[in-house]
Amino acid sequence: MTNSMNNVEYVKTLVETNFSVVATDVVDQYQISFDVVPSDVHRVLSLLKSEGWIQLSYLSAVDWIDDNEMQLVYIVFNWEKPVHIQVRTRLDRDKPSMQSILPIYPGCKYYERECHEFFGVKFPGNPDYDKQLILEQWDDMPPMRKDFDPQAYSARKFPVRKYTNDFEQLEGQPSKQVKREARTERIIKIGKGGKK
Amino acid sequence: MESTRFSIGTKLSKEEIDRKWWEIGDFFRRNSLWMLMYCTGCCAIELPPAMTSAYDMERLGMGPMATPRQADVLLVTGYLSLKTLRRLIYTYEQMSEPKYVVGIGSCTINGGIYHDSHAVINQLDQYIPVDVYVAGCMPNTESVMNGFVDLMELIKNKKANGWKDYHERYEWYRQNQIDSLGEVRVHDEFHE
Repeated sequence: MTNSMNNVEYVKTLVETNFSVVATDVVDQYQISFDVVPSDVHRVLSLLKSEGWIQLSYLSAVDWIDDNEMQLVYIVFNWEKPVHIQVRTRLDRDKPSMQSILPIYPGCKYYERECHEFFGVKFPGNPDYDKQLILEQWDDMPPMRKDFDPQAYSARKFPVRKYTNDFEQLEGQPSKQVKREARTERIIKIGKGGKK
Repeated sequence: MESTRFSIGTKLSKEEIDRKWWEIGDFFRRNSLWMLMYCTGCCAIELPPAMTSAYDMERLGMGPMATPRQADVLLVTGYLSLKTLRRLIYTYEQMSEPKYVVGIGSCTINGGIYHDSHAVINQLDQYIPVDVYVAGCMPNTESVMNGFVDLMELIKNKKANGWKDYHERYEWYRQNQIDSLGEVRVHDEFHE
């Protein structure tokens, strides 16, 4: 197939005829995503791998805290047809657990470890999924979860430098304190997306 | 008849002789500093122009050194994650004395733009003594060079005493390291 839009159409037909897909999203001519139920993930990935999507580019998670769901995203890539496919699935956020895809894509070994470390998703079937990978001797909840507060963690663990206001004001010059405070307030406001 | 050969007029005590030897040692040391560049963060990009022909660090007698045991200066260029800090403490303790630390960039001073990160420490001088700071995010190459000249001045004036401080207040540094890191010892799958 030379036309890349045909590639997307091909994948769409292939997956939608074989599985009951929750939602399909054609991003552009190079990207398509399928939302599937957790029990379908392995079969979808096996099918895609046999069709030439041989490389697992990435595996990570998205924390949907309002829906109390954890979404896993598998991105697979084909070296013949230029289409990235995202296979997404939603898990329960309280006890997220997903059977490992180690037999299909052996390269998922480290992605699953990373995902467990940062999001707390368990991957039974992967013998090392709970080993530490990037964080060392982590002692709190997984840090990429939305309810983790990095600022509070930083304040608790790492001492903050204290600054004293021992500067002198030059003679005849107005204080810049008001201006400085207004600027700080504006920065904080921008940081919160314009909300107070 | 008195000898014409050179002789010391007054008898010097051992401390005075030691001090004189240290002054001689410091003279040579500050004019041939070997740096160990622990390029942790983005400020490391200021070192290539400082070392190559643009600013030519060699004219200050400074050069890069590959191993910690033969280096005099430890450059910490930028933020330090907890993982890096463990290795940095290993490296610092491996260096032979006297040893000096230069912290480059605002991340080593107060955390910089990573002040609220869960993975990055805020103040370097809580964990190892720092002799010279170069402020800026990132500092330009002139300030980096100026920082090195400052370090030489400090060595000349006998004020670069961070390594002595590390001996004297070791318990304090050690406690800070443990408070932030839990355990300084590295446990990973390559070391076990």
